[in-house]
Amino acid sequence: MVLKIFFPTCCNTADSGLLIGRWIPGQDSAVVLAVIHYPFIPGQVKKYLSETQNQSQVDLAVLGSWSLPKDGQEGMDSFLKDLSTIFPNSRWLQLSREIGKRGFACQVVHNRITPPDPAQGGTDKKDQIIFIHYDQRKVMLSQLHPIHEESPGEESSELRAVFHTVAQSGPLFLLDRYDEGPLKLTHWQSEGREASIVVELSKQASVPLCIVLTWLVLLSFQLFLYVVCCRILNIWPVQFISSKMSTCVQTAYRTNHFQTVFSTKKATSHMEFMRKANIFVSFLVDMSLGLLLVSWLYRENHISQLANTLVPVADHVAKELQELLEWLMGAPAGLKMNRALDQVLGRFFLYHIHLWISYIRLMSPFIEMILWYVGLSACLGLTFALSVLSDIVALLTFHIYCFYVYGARLYCLKVYGLSSLWRLFCGKKWNVLRQRVDSCSYDLDQLFIGTLLFTILLFLLPTTALYYLVFTLLRLVVVMFQGVIHLAIDLINSFPLFAMGLRLCRSYRLAEGVKFRVLCEEPGTPLHLMMEINPLKCSSVLQRYRTPTYSCYPRDSWVDLCKKLFMGELIYPWKHKTTKTD
Amino acid sequence: MGQKKRSGRVHPPTCPSETQPPAAARTLDPPNSSKARGFGREERARHRICMVSDFFYPNMGGVESHIYQLSQCLIEKGHKVVIATHAYGNRRGIRYLTNGLKVYYLPLQVMYNQSTTTTCIHSLPLLRCVFVRERVTVVHAHSSFSAMAHDALFHAKTMGLNTVFTDHSLFGFADLSSVLTNKLLTVSLCDTNHIVCVSYTSKENTVLRAALNPDIVSVIPNAVDPTDFTPDPSRRDNSKITIVVVSRLVYRKGIDLLGGIIPELCTKHHDLYFLIGGEGPKRIVLEEVREKYQLHDRVRLLGALDHKDVRDVLVQGHIFLNTSLTEAFCMAIVEGASCGLQVVSTRVGGIPEVLPDELVTLCEPTVSSLCAGLETVIARQRSGKVPPPADIHSKVRTLYTWRNVAERTEKVYDLACRQPVLPLPARLQRLQSHCGAFAGFIFSFLAVIDFLFLFFLQWLHPDHLIDVAVDASGPHSCWGPSFKKKAKDSNRAWPPGADTRHC
Amino acid sequence: MGANSGPGASPCASPVGPWRKVLYARQPFPDNHVDRRFLEELRRNIRVRQYRYWAVVRETGLVAQQVSCVAVFITLWSCMDQGRLGPSVLLWAATGCALPGYGLYEMLGGKDRERPRLADLQSAAVFLAFTFGFSPVLKTLTESVSTDTVYAMSAVMLLAHLLSFPYTQPSPPGSLSLNAALFASVCLASRLPGALHTFAMLSWALLVFALWPCLLHRLRERAEWSFPWAAGLVCAGGVGGLGAVWPGGALLLSLALLVLTLACPLLLVCLQRHKDNIHGPWDEAEIREDLSRFLS
Repeated sequence: MVLKIFFPTCCNTADSGLLIGRWIPGQDSAVVLAVIHYPFIPGQVKKYLSETQNQSQVDLAVLGSWSLPKDGQEGMDSFLKDLSTIFPNSRWLQLSREIGKRGFACQVVHNRITPPDPAQGGTDKKDQIIFIHYDQRKVMLSQLHPIHEESPGEESSELRAVFHTVAQSGPLFLLDRYDEGPLKLTHWQSEGREASIVVELSKQASVPLCIVLTWLVLLSFQLFLYVVCCRILNIWPVQFISSKMSTCVQTAYRTNHFQTVFSTKKATSHMEFMRKANIFVSFLVDMSLGLLLVSWLYRENHISQLANTLVPVADHVAKELQELLEWLMGAPAGLKMNRALDQVLGRFFLYHIHLWISYIRLMSPFIEMILWYVGLSACLGLTFALSVLSDIVALLTFHIYCFYVYGARLYCLKVYGLSSLWRLFCGKKWNVLRQRVDSCSYDLDQLFIGTLLFTILLFLLPTTALYYLVFTLLRLVVVMFQGVIHLAIDLINSFPLFAMGLRLCRSYRLAEGVKFRVLCEEPGTPLHLMMEINPLKCSSVLQRYRTPTYSCYPRDSWVDLCKKLFMGELIYPWKHKTTKTD
Repeated sequence: MGQKKRSGRVHPPTCPSETQPPAAARTLDPPNSSKARGFGREERARHRICMVSDFFYPNMGGVESHIYQLSQCLIEKGHKVVIATHAYGNRRGIRYLTNGLKVYYLPLQVMYNQSTTTTCIHSLPLLRCVFVRERVTVVHAHSSFSAMAHDALFHAKTMGLNTVFTDHSLFGFADLSSVLTNKLLTVSLCDTNHIVCVSYTSKENTVLRAALNPDIVSVIPNAVDPTDFTPDPSRRDNSKITIVVVSRLVYRKGIDLLGGIIPELCTKHHDLYFLIGGEGPKRIVLEEVREKYQLHDRVRLLGALDHKDVRDVLVQGHIFLNTSLTEAFCMAIVEGASCGLQVVSTRVGGIPEVLPDELVTLCEPTVSSLCAGLETVIARQRSGKVPPPADIHSKVRTLYTWRNVAERTEKVYDLACRQPVLPLPARLQRLQSHCGAFAGFIFSFLAVIDFLFLFFLQWLHPDHLIDVAVDASGPHSCWGPSFKKKAKDSNRAWPPGADTRHC
Repeated sequence: MGANSGPGASPCASPVGPWRKVLYARQPFPDNHVDRRFLEELRRNIRVRQYRYWAVVRETGLVAQQVSCVAVFITLWSCMDQGRLGPSVLLWAATGCALPGYGLYEMLGGKDRERPRLADLQSAAVFLAFTFGFSPVLKTLTESVSTDTVYAMSAVMLLAHLLSFPYTQPSPPGSLSLNAALFASVCLASRLPGALHTFAMLSWALLVFALWPCLLHRLRERAEWSFPWAAGLVCAGGVGGLGAVWPGGALLLSLALLVLTLACPLLLVCLQRHKDNIHGPWDEAEIREDLSRFLS
């Protein structure tokens, strides 16, 4: 039988005393949590243990005795041996160490309540013992992945049980050997980290600070939201438009986050805590970047410079479009276009552009003021600024969108007409009832007119197709640009900065597993291993702690997209995922 | 099987070692074999047969059940049988069916209607593996629609194994697709050792299609498991006369004729009831007829039937109607007769050869003739002159049995194994002389490529390095439970008086 | 169970009787026994028709006249293209052909009328309005396409028309053939100088490709004797017309017509004796009656 004993490194040089810890049920292993030093009163030890057990829900027990004989403590061994009668247990460990030697010596005394089971090997054989040393503080703070939200009663693996035991034993570590009290313990706190006091103090101070901040911000924000959102957004047209504008979506998203982060409920599980922390950090980063942007914008008159360049840019775009249409109305790329149709379509679109330019000219005096106020929104964060930019781009290229829709509809009509007339050409018909193509005998006039129409549509196809192609390309360019902006927003929204920071700076907090290093392997002494935490891979961190967003992702696969383009159906390539709760 | 009887007590099954020579099979002679009975026949060799076809379980059909039942009866006779077919969806690898029937589901791409794509060459490595591992001596291919079967024949001849082919269907000659298919069949069968057809008409058809020597074509009919199709007169409604039709609803099965018979007879006889099972594109015709003549309570369309439900549908009827326009061997009418029904059928293909005149009424494939035939049978039914279903069943059950089919097939294997497999030069000669200039040239070329490919494979993975598989059937079988069962069965006298098992 | 049934065993002179073609009885013959009654139901060439040369020649008249129709149409188009004929002349000629043709059709039609006269008038009105209305559009259709492409497309379409023409049942004109012919005529018509030219061309296309086969079919049905004369007239018109425009083409056409009408039937009749159709009990039964009477 191999017995595994998890021994904290801080207790390696502790004075002799009792070992407190827990036997892992179902496994042949024990976790040593602390050492209670001599002198002690057994009754008080038991009382302390039962109190701690009630507080921490971990079934602590006295595992055995620890002896590190120093000068003047020769009689300790025999004294400690007799203690096994005071703290009854099925097994009693007797660990001892000599100063100067690396290995421990261990004896296991079995207090048999029931006779040994012959099916399991019969008589007491010599137990083989392995000591696994672990850094108690690190293991206490670490979280083993993949995270299982289980009740402490059922633990799936030994390792998980060890981590869980150490993490839950917080109340045990409140008493230290430097404290004035009936019991003196040695555990990780005794390693003399005075800085831990500062950390404790700051932790305790941060909670009220958070609450005050929350209160202020939440109040103002909620007021604003209540007024704006609840009243206005319930009207359907506004709701529809606001779902299309990324600014509004981003606002709603951030509101959700606010509620998560600044709720006064303390995070119960690790995931919730990480979520809150990530959101908080990303929010901070967002705000700071936004403020940076604002400070740049409002300095040195950048706003008016921007406004002054905006109108010429819009003008320039319109002029380019006009030239494009003129080119299409000629003989573009040597393709043979039908002149009449060409002229019609070209003039139609040119008229639209003319309207658009007039509109821009009309708006030009007010642009600077609009930009000034809109720039203020960058205070709320870089993501807001980017969303506003995306919306502005959408508004400015609205005419391209219109052209695209016209071209697509025309093309789509043509394609459907052609396919239906082609079936007539071959003497077939689409049977709607049976959803298949049937042969059909047409009348003479139906045939005649059908063929004429087919010819007309066929010869006009290149012209329409070219217009459709050009406008679709333009639309795709705009869509790509918007997609890039949205990707940036998404990145800021969802990147788990806190988790990443934790992984880089305190990598032991996020554990994927453990690795063992051999410390001491001498014949005759038990094996000593050092357990070190394997941190989680960066990619796993990203995957696991990514905040779910409303991110846009391609709605159709490439094949579907190509098919839709070919048939002339309107494409909306980005789809917004609704905010999912985890 | 033989080992146990010799010593007189049960030995634990021993599996043959790799070096066991195949000839050892012949020395293990059970005392109750033909030799001991003193019939004077030469001792029967045990063959190691590989059945190859695209169509096998889990696909359900005539060819599939034929292969399965035949294999089971051959295993019972002590031969080793292995089946190779293509993978059906996730079902790939090796599976074992009842009594140690080993099935290889090979990962070959299915093209159309459960038939694999073929390049004549690419299946050689897999099939060679199967043949060498199982130490196959006879390759038995089924169904001309199966590309894998033809491939297997091609490769088996390259590897020097004896080949047998079973054809299950009739073909025309006139249209372009038939001409091409017949040419392919000619190429495939020109050097096959023996061919089996399921009826005399089918034999004539195959001999003409592939220009074969009729002496190498045997006629072995299909069979029906009589325990699956037993009569049950209590399930009939004797207040009316029920006509049962169970077939796929396609043009070939003459559903258009059925669409003409139904209104004619239903107007004349008011206690007539039609029960139609099966699915297919011609269902629309029957539904339109039913709709037009308002026969919703007289005509019932059951849709697709599972194989196990067919008997339950058949026993509900008095008369079984078959309106096929072409059939090689109609299993359906035998199943109908086995369930005790009066059979009315069209006289096409091999149907006149299947049942004796007292069990079937044959008509021309026209509506009037079928109606007249049905009228006769209905009159007979009404007057009560029909023999009871149990009598019909007892007559039919002895007509076609799988054991008989297996016995005759065994003789085919013996005959095929006595013939030599043509070496490559003779094979090329035969292909070019027999199959026409163009096709002969192409397939000679393919035969040479196949031969070279085999050579390459034998260099890459020599035969002696391929592990020999443990037999699951045959004389050296290591299949556990059936061993004891076989011991029990072989205590009975041979041949058995009645079929008590599914064989 | 058959005692010695199976391949390879020698057939013994059985007291049971001769071999019967039945599967249900165990016969004392081996399975691969070849009886002298083997293949006795094989029949060869039972449905071979005996063709008579002149009857076939008469039938090919239909094909020949259809080819000539195409030639006539091309002649008309090329005349208009070269300016020899004006569109108004052609339009009057079309009216002049259409009205007597319709009268003849009605006379031969007799009592059975598929469509009322009003429906015919309606169709004519629709056609005229539509074509006239769309001719300006049709004219501009192939402006940007090169001449060679247009000619090539028309040639392909006219060939498709000839190949897919329903020679057995020309009366309701087959969809594909009519559509191909109309497509070719639109392509050619759009090459002409004016919209009226296009309109005239399309009217003639309708007459030649859609209405003339119906009239011819009616002639064949009612006045069998007139069919060879009508076909001959059309062929002569085709050759003559083509000769006026392109003499080489006329020569080619006449050669083609001769081959079609005289040489091909000869070939058909001569090759009949090489036919080798196999019939037997394995054939799929043909349903010879009309089963749709149960459904209609």
